[in-house]
Amino acid sequence: MALSACSSDNGAASDDSGAVSGDITLLTPIYEGAAGQRLLEDELLPQFYEKYPDVKVTVDYTNFARLNEKLTTGVVSGLVPDVMMMGVGWVEAFADKGVLANLSESGISVADLEKSTTAEIVKAGVWDGDVYAVPIMLDARFGVARMDLLREAGYDAPPTTWAELVEMAEALTIRSEGGDLERAGFDVLSLDARQMYETMLFSSGGSLFNDDNTAPAFNSAAGVEALESVVDLIHTSEVEDTGFSSTKETVNPLINGRAAMGIAHNNLWTQTLEAAPELLPELEPFLIPGDSPGMFVGGTLATMSSSSEHPAAAQALLEFLASPGPALAANEQRGNIPALTELLDTDYAQGNRLVQFSMENLEVAKREGGPSEWLGLRGEIAPAIESALLAQKTPKQALDDLADVFTGKMAG
Amino acid sequence: MVTPAVAHIGLWTALPVLATFALSLTDYNIFDAPRWIGIDNYIQIWNDPTFRLATWNTVVYTFWTVPVSMAIAMIIAVALNQNLWLRTWYRTAFFLPQVTATVAIAMVWLWIYNPQQGLLNAALSVIGIPGQAWLANPDWSLWAVILVGAWQGIGIKMLIYIAALQNVDNSLYEAASVDGASVVRKFFAITLPMLKPATFFVLVISIIGAFQVFDQIYVLTDGGPANATTMMTYEVYRSAFQNFQMGLASAQSVCLFAFLLVMTLISRRATRGDDE
Repeated sequence: MALSACSSDNGAASDDSGAVSGDITLLTPIYEGAAGQRLLEDELLPQFYEKYPDVKVTVDYTNFARLNEKLTTGVVSGLVPDVMMMGVGWVEAFADKGVLANLSESGISVADLEKSTTAEIVKAGVWDGDVYAVPIMLDARFGVARMDLLREAGYDAPPTTWAELVEMAEALTIRSEGGDLERAGFDVLSLDARQMYETMLFSSGGSLFNDDNTAPAFNSAAGVEALESVVDLIHTSEVEDTGFSSTKETVNPLINGRAAMGIAHNNLWTQTLEAAPELLPELEPFLIPGDSPGMFVGGTLATMSSSSEHPAAAQALLEFLASPGPALAANEQRGNIPALTELLDTDYAQGNRLVQFSMENLEVAKREGGPSEWLGLRGEIAPAIESALLAQKTPKQALDDLADVFTGKMAG
Repeated sequence: MVTPAVAHIGLWTALPVLATFALSLTDYNIFDAPRWIGIDNYIQIWNDPTFRLATWNTVVYTFWTVPVSMAIAMIIAVALNQNLWLRTWYRTAFFLPQVTATVAIAMVWLWIYNPQQGLLNAALSVIGIPGQAWLANPDWSLWAVILVGAWQGIGIKMLIYIAALQNVDNSLYEAASVDGASVVRKFFAITLPMLKPATFFVLVISIIGAFQVFDQIYVLTDGGPANATTMMTYEVYRSAFQNFQMGLASAQSVCLFAFLLVMTLISRRATRGDDE
């Protein structure tokens, strides 16, 4: 691996440390919150400074929802951070426009990365055949069942077909005498609508774009069927009511028993570990049963500005953060899946059932993004999906209208 | 010496405004240099159903938050202009939302509106009214946002009205009392006319404030569900910072500016007094 080749175990870059100096900035949507900040500033950066005492790192914290704002203002003002953490789908646009440094020119090749890193996430950092971002972590979305609740209802395993999922979800749904929903049989609302739909889409064998990423493909029969399935869950099977849960919920309904099954993020394990560790044995992951079982996968990658005044220092930091020790710590703090395959044997990864499940099923995982216009398109998906969930439009209408918007923007 | 002031206004107000007008006629995606496209952005806005919905939502929001909060603020101001016990405490309490960060307020309202653990549904259940998913139901979400806006806006309006009320000559009320005027009659014949300049001022700043609503949408709903609560400012934000369409965002800002100008002129005409 390229990074291993030029890094020691603690992630120090191979450059002559005496020549690496300068004040650099790091923009990061991970290391979020007080715990994340402590990890970065009290544990990781001191290790970096031991090797590079002449480098000073100023950290700008954000989250993925606000990352675009930071990047936009950075690009417009000409003050692009030296090192930037980005999500899957971000790299294409910024690489295409020359904002990111071409890391292949510094000796990091796709082939080398693929030797040490999960292949699916490596592709997210590649543009036009060159490496622009080094993966640090993956995150996946899939079905999760609360086995204690399933057993109470007479089921001993998660569903294996869509018909079975619907039947079980209906049986697991609990309403009060007045009809108020007390427990959702299958929760689809706690996850961002875009990611929830993409999980369903990939499980139906559909994809967001055609093979060469020149046109939308989500309004295919598979895509429409995926959205119809979700809409039917809410309006026909009534296993969840709109508004019952949302992305703003502080506790996932699978943890507090307000849902028996649902589509969830792999960090549900870490959330449960903190909130109700006794429930961990009861969390059973499963692939959403569709025409072609699939899973949504995202991730976080480290990139470097092409306009950095201290490229050696920036690359040293990038390599440090992507190296085994710091990457494992970041994954553990966030409950995510290490991109470095060597970390999958660690106690953290081995002890996390959802991380293990994600890794076992990466061959059916698909990521979002593709065209360089993706960042300008992704925000359009959630309102369209919501309009179908709220029965304002049929699933086909919603997706066809969305495809028209995509086509217009991709042509423009 | 007016030079510093002129320089300040020119640099920080006039120049950005002119730049916004100029950028609105370009295709500017932040990565490449702006490209002149004439009025294409305005044509796109005209044909964009989401921006039309955002404009309508903004008008509805303004229509309800401004008069409602002005009426409540005036009633509270009149009440707190009397010699009430704990008057200062009440004034502070009513003004508090104004000086509290909107984000913090919105977080509290997120909890109030929570369908399961929220205060509003709990209160309604006591009197037998079924609760709602206030922010997730498109029939209710805009009203939920309007309620927050109206509530938050009361404080500053009340303060302006109280200041105006203290300039009303007390002899007018004394003379009216001698003539046997009732409290209601005094309010409509003396208080309301004397508050006309303050009312115009409050109306204009309220309309401008309402048209610029952003924070509570950003925190409470993200413009959803299904764009049911998106506003003009939120669309400007989305175009600029989520979709990297700075030219389009500038054109949307110009539309917002034009709307505000028209509304201000209408307000001015509607509240023009006999003295003009």
